[in-house]
Amino acid sequence: MSIRSTELPGIGTKYELETEKGDKVAIVFMDPGRIQLYILEKESETPVAAELNAWEARRIGSILTGAIIEAEREAVEIAFSALSDLRISIHTYIIGKNLAGKSIGELAIRKMTGVTIIAVSRKGKNVINPPPSFSFEEGDVVVAIGEHDQLKTFESEVLGV
Amino acid sequence: MEQIALALFTCLILAVISKSLSLPPIPFYILAGIFLGNSGLKIIGADEVFHFLSQLGLIFLLFYIGLELKPERIRSRGSAFLIAGFIDLNINLLLGFFAALAIGFSYYEAFVVASAFYISSSAMVIASLIENKKLILPESETAVWLMIFEDIVLVFLIFIISTEMQHPFVLILKVIAVVCLLFAIVKILKRALLKLLQRDDELPVILTFSAVLFAVFISKYLDIPEVLTVIALGSALSTTNPKAFERISRPFKDVFLVLFFFFFGISIEFSGNLSLMQALVISFVAIISKLFSGFLVGRAVHGSYSSGIEIGTNIIARGEFSIAIAAIYGSGIVSATVTAMVILTSIVGSFMAKYSSKIKAGLARHFKS
Repeated sequence: MSIRSTELPGIGTKYELETEKGDKVAIVFMDPGRIQLYILEKESETPVAAELNAWEARRIGSILTGAIIEAEREAVEIAFSALSDLRISIHTYIIGKNLAGKSIGELAIRKMTGVTIIAVSRKGKNVINPPPSFSFEEGDVVVAIGEHDQLKTFESEVLGV
Repeated sequence: MEQIALALFTCLILAVISKSLSLPPIPFYILAGIFLGNSGLKIIGADEVFHFLSQLGLIFLLFYIGLELKPERIRSRGSAFLIAGFIDLNINLLLGFFAALAIGFSYYEAFVVASAFYISSSAMVIASLIENKKLILPESETAVWLMIFEDIVLVFLIFIISTEMQHPFVLILKVIAVVCLLFAIVKILKRALLKLLQRDDELPVILTFSAVLFAVFISKYLDIPEVLTVIALGSALSTTNPKAFERISRPFKDVFLVLFFFFFGISIEFSGNLSLMQALVISFVAIISKLFSGFLVGRAVHGSYSSGIEIGTNIIARGEFSIAIAAIYGSGIVSATVTAMVILTSIVGSFMAKYSSKIKAGLARHFKS
């Protein structure tokens, strides 16, 4: 089960792997950033293939390595290979007028939504693990952690967006 | 000026159409040239500037090919590469030569036709392997390396064809001298070249363009085919940073090459006594011949008939090199024959490559029953 890499002149580089069960997987990196992903099933002569762009390839690569880290605007999703059904998202939000002066405990964020505020950035200064007594000001950037659905609840129930 | 703009726009539209139909665009460029040029509507004529730009297309194509011919890469290939290459060379060159003689060409013309007949289109073969998603197959590796082998042979074929006009001994001395000179210059300047190529201003582009034009100038001065000098220059520069040179020369190659095919179409004249029948015969033999040689290559390299069919169906298309040979050396009648062959083999080839698995399955059923 070793990976064989071959040069295909005029095309790019091909990486090939034969799996334990005898299927073949090949990845071809073509010169202007196109990538083709092939699977040739054991005893089949016709491969199936998908063409990926660089972003899609990286995404699939990170799923396969087990740690999904997707930087999508201000959100990051983390997954662990050993805990396949655990998906943690980290999201940043900006506090609006409606929450100014209210504290974390007062809003009962964790109780209501399951989301935990893990950091607040205020005018360039960071507060890590803010206590329940911490009061928000307008323009604070908060970092919230939770599951995807919990964050959705947080957005609608607490932030009111 | 407006002629060139018109030609390029026509080709652009044709390229969009042909690519949406998954057909190779080259035959359409040539056809457009034929229809709009001397043998057709005479809308677009060829002037000096057009001719010069189309020459640049050919030169940049060959420079690009040279960049792929890295000496150490070829040396490291195993015997399968040589076996496949020689089967392909012998069968196609001989069949092409005798087919051309049989329909009435002179020995010299038959050799030019055979050279064009032998050499498949790297561009089309590679594009179709990518498009039809066949790169995982070991046969596609063989096919791709076969293209490299053919490119090397192209150099020798052009050399042989050129000896028609010059004494071979004098020519070979001059060519060896130029090749050694180019490799030596590149070796001495390697550091400086690598440094220059890393810059992100216009200097790498100026370097590439002027190096290629300089090679053309040397050829004119020493009276050797510029094709050889430009390929040698590419091969010499492939020892520095071929990826950078490829990236830089690609836009020149892409634009000017379209003009080259179009110009070739303009200048074809169907006034000779070539009958359509003869052109069809040659094209038909050209398809059969590649299927046959591919079949033998598959048997020899991969040990199976089905691999042979896979290789054969993928290497049918003739294209840029055949046109190049015809453009440089062919008489009117040779050019017309090669054109017909390129158009037919490239279109038939693209369909056969696409449906190769169906062809294989069909033949397997046929032979079992």
